Amino acid sequence: MTQPIDTSIYAAVTAAIQGEAKRILSEGQVTAIVGYAAARRKGSAQPIVISQPDDAQKLIFTPACVNNLAVYLTKAKKEIPKTGKIGIVVKGCDLKALAGLMGESQLKRENLYLIGVPCAGVLGSTIQPDTELTSDSIAPKCTECNERMPPECDFVPAVQVPVNQGLEKKYAAEIARLEALTPQERWAYWKEQFSKCIKCYACRQVCPFCFCEQCLCDRNKPQMVETTPRPAGNFAWHIVRAMHLAGRCAGCAECERVCPMDIPLNLLNRKMAKELKELFEHEAGFEVQEKGPLNSFTDKDDQSFIK
Amino acid sequence: MHPEKPKHDFEPKIIAFVCTWCTYAGADLAGTSRMQYPPNVRVLKFPCTGRIDPVFILKAFQQGADGVLVSGCHPGDCHYIAGNFHARRRFAAFRKLLEFVGVDLNRLQFSWVSAAEGGKWVEVVTELTEKVRSMGPMVEFKELALEEQWSGAIDTPELKEAYEQI
Amino acid sequence: MQNYISQQNFNALLDSLISQGKRVVAPRTNAGTVLYEPLANAADMVIDQLPRRSGKEAFFPLCEDIMTYQKEGQKIELQDIDPTRFLETVLVGVRPCDAAAIPVLDAVFSWDYKDEFFLERRKKTTIIGLACTQADDACFCTAVGLTPADPKGADLFLTPLEGGGYACETQSEKGEALVANNKELFAEPNGYKPLPLAEPQTGKFDLKKVKAWLDEHFEDPAWDSIATRCVGCGACAFVCPACHCFDIVDEGTEKQGKRRKNWDACGFWKFTHHASGHNPRDQQPKRYRNRIMHKFKYYDDKFGQTLCTGCGRCIRLCPVGIDIADILQDIDKIEVKVKVEENS
Repeated sequence: MTQPIDTSIYAAVTAAIQGEAKRILSEGQVTAIVGYAAARRKGSAQPIVISQPDDAQKLIFTPACVNNLAVYLTKAKKEIPKTGKIGIVVKGCDLKALAGLMGESQLKRENLYLIGVPCAGVLGSTIQPDTELTSDSIAPKCTECNERMPPECDFVPAVQVPVNQGLEKKYAAEIARLEALTPQERWAYWKEQFSKCIKCYACRQVCPFCFCEQCLCDRNKPQMVETTPRPAGNFAWHIVRAMHLAGRCAGCAECERVCPMDIPLNLLNRKMAKELKELFEHEAGFEVQEKGPLNSFTDKDDQSFIK
Repeated sequence: MHPEKPKHDFEPKIIAFVCTWCTYAGADLAGTSRMQYPPNVRVLKFPCTGRIDPVFILKAFQQGADGVLVSGCHPGDCHYIAGNFHARRRFAAFRKLLEFVGVDLNRLQFSWVSAAEGGKWVEVVTELTEKVRSMGPMVEFKELALEEQWSGAIDTPELKEAYEQI
Repeated sequence: MQNYISQQNFNALLDSLISQGKRVVAPRTNAGTVLYEPLANAADMVIDQLPRRSGKEAFFPLCEDIMTYQKEGQKIELQDIDPTRFLETVLVGVRPCDAAAIPVLDAVFSWDYKDEFFLERRKKTTIIGLACTQADDACFCTAVGLTPADPKGADLFLTPLEGGGYACETQSEKGEALVANNKELFAEPNGYKPLPLAEPQTGKFDLKKVKAWLDEHFEDPAWDSIATRCVGCGACAFVCPACHCFDIVDEGTEKQGKRRKNWDACGFWKFTHHASGHNPRDQQPKRYRNRIMHKFKYYDDKFGQTLCTGCGRCIRLCPVGIDIADILQDIDKIEVKVKVEENS
């Protein structure tokens, strides 16, 4: 049954973000702030970088503020001004990505001013940004979120996040469904999904962790993955992507949200997160971890699959 | 004298990614000791199992392998101290991913074979070859490689036939 | 004149074309996404939805082989694809924004070099257009000189009627032949009323004014503020009905392989990356500038047309909410001297 999601706190959150942004910009604590601003379409929002205190009034937070802005701070997308300290508006899920990037030495905490957002959930798709936020239209990641109040930020608006109860955990349910299928059925499922892929690489470009200066899949000497958007090349690309994010993905689900062909990419990431938790007790969190599960080891790791 | 080889309808193609320090030397030992093992296996030598990227396994399947073997030094014996420990974690994760997208894990084998274990090499290779033989060819990736998007597919059957004969 | 066809007869027409061995491409649902794809059965058609990708795919495939090579010792064999044997295709349910892009593509693919793959597929395809009855605030066809009932690019143009069925207008010999060969399925018009047309909810802008500004502002700080947020994917170009850049790659081994033509996008950093390592469009705003310039200036300079039909797909699907209509409206607001023959 569709139930509405209470987003009444977002007006107060918006006002608090604006106030704080204005203060830190005019006091010179930061040189720029990456946040969300309203866009032309009804209900829409888009990322914005502001550097003038007067522009602080442009910042908003609404259910259409879906982007993980951490992507604007990583190496490959370095066109955002990076002189000095940068302010950034983060939801709990985005903050995990920042923690991961700090762990991978891509960012330093002292160069960031974190404006945390108490978040009741955002839309799963912004194709129609004025969609009302309900248990159906909410992003699947939000149904599994238990980090609605980002911790250890420099500023978090003092509002109480309403508790959304009884939302079905969409990824857990879908992963369980796929795991129960036979290998042939799973192959058929993914083949159908990946056949839609057009290799626009939106999934890669919005991913905060895809910060390689040159992607393995853009190389042609040697060519490891077919670059053509044919079923074989698509399949290889998505396996490589999932593998390269295993143990790193912070679960912002941007890859899945931006896919113009609606491929459920985050299912692969969530599956890998689940397995890595079982195998190596690793989970993406707010703590900056120096080593991920796949660049560390113990001498007691499971090797039951090795002869 | 070579024992007579049994004839089979299907000879699987097995690709073995091995480390140069242990398993390659082990396979060499099997050869110099005149031990017999199935010729189905094609050995590719790497500096270390830590250098074996999961994408190599994927590529092997895409290019027609029916089974893949990854083999290196026993834990603690790595020439580079920890390469095989890293590999162990990486392949534990990669197996789960392949399983989730529908690849039968019986086609993918991992092993530790030291330079002294010529016999174990023979055992591992023989077992994998026979297992894959009983499973038949790996068709999924081969079929996938022949598929096209509808818009780019060769439009007429006769054209397609002529084209594929090249 | 017989110019009415019921939905039932329309489906019968498509089924009959399928049984004649023609490829009937129409919107259908594939794993939850509506795309133009060949139909096995007219009942699978989802004609009331705008597909995620445009109809250009029928002539300009996402990926197509153009040649194969095989090498044995010193002997090298090259084999071309013979485009004259492509299949006859009927492309169905094409909205004016998708159909109008097809003549735009014709211009570029038959310009200095005649692209035989495109032109052959084009020759063998009949396009059944459909007047549009649904619009949202991403649609802006009316701002680029089209209307939701513009038959441009279609061979046969359908207007949905109240109570079902369509009024048909033939627009070309191909369309006339299609109707003439299936006369029994068409009926006399009977005072049917067309469904109300779509009303794009996007404000207008003056294309001449936009171009006049672009002519003078290759270098402008505005590009940074417009496109700093661009993350450099190809989603906008790949869902666009008019974008037509492609890349040619050889894939295979040293022994044998294929030469393939794939869609490419100016948003990719690799698009202008030189073998030397130099990249003239070294930053994302420069790449996005090319997208706007190509659509509203370069193409206009060369062919006198705009390389945009206002379908709004790039607006709906941009990962970071870049809104081309908003950008054009902003440019339109800037005071510029329109140099369009003021004296005349």
